Amino acid sequence: MNSAIGIIFSNMNSGALQGLTQERPIAALPFGGRYRLLDFALSSMVNSVIHTVGVITPPHYRSLLDHLGAGKDWSLDRKSGGLFILPGVIHSLGQYNMRFSLKDLVLNREFLEKDFARQVIISSSDQVYNMDFHPLLKQQEETGADLTLVYKQSPEPLTGEDNLYLRLDGSGRVAAMAKTKTKPEPGVSWSYFCNIFVIRRELLLQILDSFGSIENLELTEVLAQYLSELRVWGYHFGGYIGRIGSVKDYFYNNMALLQEEIRGDLFKSTRPIRTKIRDNPPTRYGSKAQVKNSLISSGCVIEGVVENSILSRGVVVEEGCMVNNCVIMSKCLLGRNTVLENLILDKFVAVQEGSVLKGRPNQPMVISKKAVI
Amino acid sequence: MRKKECIAMLLAGGQGSRLGCLTRNIAKPAVSFGGKYRIIDFSLSNCTHSNIDTVGVLTQYKPFVLNSYIGMGSAWDLNCLNGGVHILPPYMGEEEGSWYKGTANAVFQNLAFINFYNPEYILILSGDHIYQMDYYEMLTFHKEKNAEVTISAIQVPWEEASRFGVMLVDDSGRIKEFVEKPLYPPSNLASMGIYIFNWEVLKTALIEDEVDPHSDHDFGKNVLPRLLKQGKRLYAFLFQGYWRDVGTIESYYKANMEVLQEKRTAKFFEQKRRIFSNEEILAPQYIGEKAKIHNSIIGNGCTILGEVYDSVISAGVYVGEGSIIRDSILLPNSEVQEGVRLRKTILGENARICSHCSIGDKTQEPFPPQEGITVIGDHLQIRAGTIIPEGRNVTQDLL
Repeated sequence: MNSAIGIIFSNMNSGALQGLTQERPIAALPFGGRYRLLDFALSSMVNSVIHTVGVITPPHYRSLLDHLGAGKDWSLDRKSGGLFILPGVIHSLGQYNMRFSLKDLVLNREFLEKDFARQVIISSSDQVYNMDFHPLLKQQEETGADLTLVYKQSPEPLTGEDNLYLRLDGSGRVAAMAKTKTKPEPGVSWSYFCNIFVIRRELLLQILDSFGSIENLELTEVLAQYLSELRVWGYHFGGYIGRIGSVKDYFYNNMALLQEEIRGDLFKSTRPIRTKIRDNPPTRYGSKAQVKNSLISSGCVIEGVVENSILSRGVVVEEGCMVNNCVIMSKCLLGRNTVLENLILDKFVAVQEGSVLKGRPNQPMVISKKAVI
Repeated sequence: MRKKECIAMLLAGGQGSRLGCLTRNIAKPAVSFGGKYRIIDFSLSNCTHSNIDTVGVLTQYKPFVLNSYIGMGSAWDLNCLNGGVHILPPYMGEEEGSWYKGTANAVFQNLAFINFYNPEYILILSGDHIYQMDYYEMLTFHKEKNAEVTISAIQVPWEEASRFGVMLVDDSGRIKEFVEKPLYPPSNLASMGIYIFNWEVLKTALIEDEVDPHSDHDFGKNVLPRLLKQGKRLYAFLFQGYWRDVGTIESYYKANMEVLQEKRTAKFFEQKRRIFSNEEILAPQYIGEKAKIHNSIIGNGCTILGEVYDSVISAGVYVGEGSIIRDSILLPNSEVQEGVRLRKTILGENARICSHCSIGDKTQEPFPPQEGITVIGDHLQIRAGTIIPEGRNVTQDLL
């Protein structure tokens, strides 16, 4: 029997992603050519032999469920355990930026009740990472902790407002957890919470009993408040984590995949990031194609020039098209003699012959889904 | 057990010796093709698209890769209740049992399997053809003609006709004469090795064939001519699409290169009838700063840092900086290190060419062997600086 089950909160949304998250939660955002953000948390769990995973869905879950199906591509179409769809709370407008809403867990209490696992791993799905949860679970068991929070260290605070920072005592226990931005002592780096943690299942159920009736409460708020009464440990994660809270983050983290080191960290062959299989043909390069420093997915047809860009599945780049520094989502059609620079093209965008579209280098322009230009 | 209308028997047991070192370790239907597929994908996908949900795959020669690739058939949506893919190796009974002695004998040895599903019709397929075909249309034709056997046929160039079983037909499509690999072909209408039989007719024919001591137990050579002689109703179903037998190095190479032709690719890859495959989970391909790629297809998970022209690069391949690949086929997970020249070469799965080799160089020979195609077997390693002239087969490590 497995000692842990997983829960992925995939109902978070944010206004900072402009049109990209208009029709989808952040979790369903296409990323890195052939993935959606959710794939990273989900694959990390599956690769860590967690066979029972609950995915908390947003109210508009079509794109998410289209992607997940019955969980087959993650080997979660199982008899024992498997993929569980946990419908999240339907909030009034403007409440969808909660990360670990307690109410979502209350609604799906049964998922937590009926399993026998001792631990629950909880992750948000607004970030890309490839993590082995075994050492985390081992530490949780060995320290006898109630809760182990995954953190990373950074010389600078993160951008964005809703990041939690941890203060650890000498033994590795978490002494404080807050959104504070006051600088730690000189020479000490910022320890930020990675929105991944493991908690005892029984404790989580107790928390639901005690606080479940309160509206709009984040699980992390409860944890922060009762930190001194719980045994809370920190776990340092050495791998790459790219958090996506804004258009700039999205663009930056996509482009980071052009670095061999980061690609190697995220796409380990022993721990592959799984995603929905489309059975696309291999990508075809025409006689006029010129492709440099780019990540290209299957099913593309390339006749033009592509540099420093990420192309998703089934993109067509016609002759005379120049693509530079762009993230192009699937099934976009880039017509003849067009120029595209510093752009994020959502799915099914058609750029017609002769168009010139340029965003600023550090301020990429977003073209929304199915736009015809 | 509910009765099935039509089930397929896929002949995948041949050694494929004409593919030389490509089939040293794996069965012919498991050889990869077209950058991401294995040859058997085409037949299995055709079954799925033709609503044939029960397929027996007759394996015998080096079946491990093939069997593990097929798995339970879920990659082709053939993992269904009451049907699905069945791997059928030869087996022992109380007193009988032997290797498959021929195509007909292979099916004969699995009478019990077919009886289990008790179909009306049996579709016999080969596991080594590249084509897209709707078997349902052929079955409709079979029923309309009230045929007992229907053979799928294609017009081939006259000079090639003697490689195939050829037939003479009358205006209605009924077969008057069938000869296997004739020296002087009476027609250029070739059998594609795809047959639909009424099960009762096939059962009787197989039992007759089994007791004939002079028979080679082959469909084309023995069973079909005998049925014709008995006056059974054999019809030819004319197929007009793309069809290639990839049984030899030359034809395998040519068919791969044909995938590079735009029209062909577009057709193969039409979303509606797309070819399914059991793909590995791989990241997108990375194309490096100094890479050049022209007129080629490239699979998932590749890292291309060098130059690739007119080539088929399968999934997971690495091409190092300064290497130049021309007119070649690189099979999955092969590796070409830095500064290598590769010309008209088929590089086997997981093979590794160390830096600064020169493979497939043109020679002075007016007619180099294998039309000048060099083949490097699966899992081989070629040490740095090796020079291999065109038309060679490399079957062991050169360290």
